[in-house]
Amino acid sequence: MTCIVNVKGLTKSYKNQSVLKELSLDVEQGDVVGLLGKNGAGKSTLLKSLLNISDIDSGEISIFGEQYNQLSSKNKARIGYVPQENDEISWLSVKDLINFRKQFYAAWSDEKVTELLSRWEIDLTKKISELSPGQVQRVLIILALAPRPELLIFDEPAASLDPAGRRDFLKEILSLVSDENITVIFSTHITSDLERIANKVAILDKGQIRYFNDLDTTKENVVQLTLHWQADKNITVPYLLRGKQFLQGQHAIVSQLDQAWLEEMKEQAVEVTINPMGLEDIFLELTA
Amino acid sequence: MEQFIISPSSGIPIYKQLYSQIERMILNGYFSVDQRLPSVRQVASDLDVNPMTVSKAYGLLEERGYLTRLRGKGMVVTARDEEVLKQEKLTMLDEMIKELLAQAKHMGISGDKVAKMIKQNIANGQDETVGKE
Repeated sequence: MTCIVNVKGLTKSYKNQSVLKELSLDVEQGDVVGLLGKNGAGKSTLLKSLLNISDIDSGEISIFGEQYNQLSSKNKARIGYVPQENDEISWLSVKDLINFRKQFYAAWSDEKVTELLSRWEIDLTKKISELSPGQVQRVLIILALAPRPELLIFDEPAASLDPAGRRDFLKEILSLVSDENITVIFSTHITSDLERIANKVAILDKGQIRYFNDLDTTKENVVQLTLHWQADKNITVPYLLRGKQFLQGQHAIVSQLDQAWLEEMKEQAVEVTINPMGLEDIFLELTA
Repeated sequence: MEQFIISPSSGIPIYKQLYSQIERMILNGYFSVDQRLPSVRQVASDLDVNPMTVSKAYGLLEERGYLTRLRGKGMVVTARDEEVLKQEKLTMLDEMIKELLAQAKHMGISGDKVAKMIKQNIANGQDETVGKE
């Protein structure tokens, strides 16, 4: 597997407040990584650091095997970014903005731009400042996709889109993922979007990547258990995140299912029921 | 056409949801032998899910002998020995029975009682009067 993004020991603070602490993350080609984190966890700071938009205090970041702050223009053109807030020149019309941005890229696809503009019903003559937040977000997405990027970085790309708009955006990303094997990193609060398109989930908490794993493995590992036993017993649950005892039983949420322990429970005649959990609940448990 | 139904926010991984649905559809004859399944791309686009997820489900079905990958044709349902097929159906039913018994136990209802209820269902031709005793 080719490593597309490699972050080691990334540290960053604003004034005296520490935001990212010794953060490490590896993203491989073809991965679609969903980045979850509470408000203020530092998701935007992390994404901006990757792009050298935000200065870092210390650490190493490499993208496409090159140092992040010395990227060749060829490699820069391989990255598409959609920021959380519009930082484009808002007095330009959509048409002028597109033509302006187009100059910087060798591999700009007019076809893609035309297709998305008409699919998303965006009026080319309107100024950016005259568009609704949802339409601005769509324009930003078009600008990011037009140069046919190989690495897409989205900071809450769907925040101002309605459900139909979000779904259509997901469709577009999925078709890029299946056709061109691109790599995607996106932050979101909408776990159901992540569950559809991501193969990996990263949880940013207290300045570090607290959890990084396959989405499927995550759902198979982080589960809720209900234990029932007959006689007096003292059971210790491995990988326990949170538990609550009751008479002859226990509720437990674990970060990993220990198969050997499950066998042992069977031998001890302890009944164990495994209840799967959705990503939203998993996220809340892992960051509690 | 959307043949499969998934619920992305469920705790059960999407590939597993797809796997068990297709397994059932093969065992109950919805998909017949040699029938071609929709492509990974098609399913991913119908369901709006990552194609890797669909590949994973198909791969697992291939590994377990339900599907065969044919060059240029995609995945087709494997012809199976009648005896093997029957065994698989029985295994699936066995799992459902185990689940049923576990549920009954939670409710404090004995296995014997469940067995009686099943027999009664058969005797009644599975009509609405079941369970009144």
